[in-house]
Amino acid sequence: GQTGKLMYVMHNSEYPLSCFALFESGPCLIADANFDILMVKLKGFFQNAKANKIESRGTRYQYCDFLVKVGTVTMGPSARGISVEVEYCPCVIANDCWNLLMEFMQSFMGNHTPGIPSVFGTKHDSIYSPADTMVQYMDLFNKIRKQQQVPVAGIR
Amino acid sequence: GSVLDQSLESLLHRLRGLCDNMEPETFLDHEMVFLLQGQQASPFVLRARRSMDKSGMPWHLRYLGQPEIGDKNRHALVRNCVDIATSDNLTDFLVEMGFRMDHEFVAKGHVFRKGIMKIVVYKIFRILMPGNTESIEPLSLSYLVELNVVAPAGQDVVSDDMRNFAEQLKPLVHLEKIDPKRLM
Repeated sequence: GQTGKLMYVMHNSEYPLSCFALFESGPCLIADANFDILMVKLKGFFQNAKANKIESRGTRYQYCDFLVKVGTVTMGPSARGISVEVEYCPCVIANDCWNLLMEFMQSFMGNHTPGIPSVFGTKHDSIYSPADTMVQYMDLFNKIRKQQQVPVAGIR
Repeated sequence: GSVLDQSLESLLHRLRGLCDNMEPETFLDHEMVFLLQGQQASPFVLRARRSMDKSGMPWHLRYLGQPEIGDKNRHALVRNCVDIATSDNLTDFLVEMGFRMDHEFVAKGHVFRKGIMKIVVYKIFRILMPGNTESIEPLSLSYLVELNVVAPAGQDVVSDDMRNFAEQLKPLVHLEKIDPKRLM
């Protein structure tokens, strides 16, 4: 008798040995690759919304201390948008490098530069973790899922 | 099998002689057992374990399946096993998935290895107040002795090695194959 809750299981090529499992506005579990095997065992208890599988695939660029990943977002056979991920590698506190990140992004994204991601909320001074990246991808993918099937560039 | 508290030292002494030469390894773990009730009659069981004495270790999530068919002839109990290392928000996550904690306990003891075999001698402590691992009391006046191996599927031959090793521990401790159904 539980109301339908969505759990997202995500993988990131940047962390090949890990599996991320998250609930919307809930905890994000970081586990090793065996978690996928556990999910197979739990098949009878959950409904698999496999049709909703979404992925972003593309090229990874390293520019000095920055990491830029540009990918095409696809859902099944159809392309739904483009994702751009920018990371400033030396820094682990979001607040300390947000301005630098924004300046860097403006240099090639111009008006498309986004505002500070909501995943930081009030905790600007906490240490960044890969889970924060996955939450942002989950938000982006959900936005893309909700869009009409018109080729639009969705940039985060 | 098990040994009474007063026989612990003799058993540890023999194990030190029989097992691989390594630094003596002790552990203090807190284990929580979670159940997920579904349409099926038997709930899905997951065990979440964390180290209380070693900092920085990931949490350990384990699934143990039902004993495999054809088990009667083997010397050891064989079960499907999935081990997962996780971040420390595991319990919050399991609850969010719909699991509820069934029981918890603290285990304190020693680990020995011989090749791929692992021998664990530990004492179980009852937790007096839920969630408070500071106030615990021993469940019994003995230590449990467990011999186990994690191996890829189909390697039943290890159970012979296990039986041979178990022979060497007699008469200090008698290790027997247990029937988990009798314990449920």
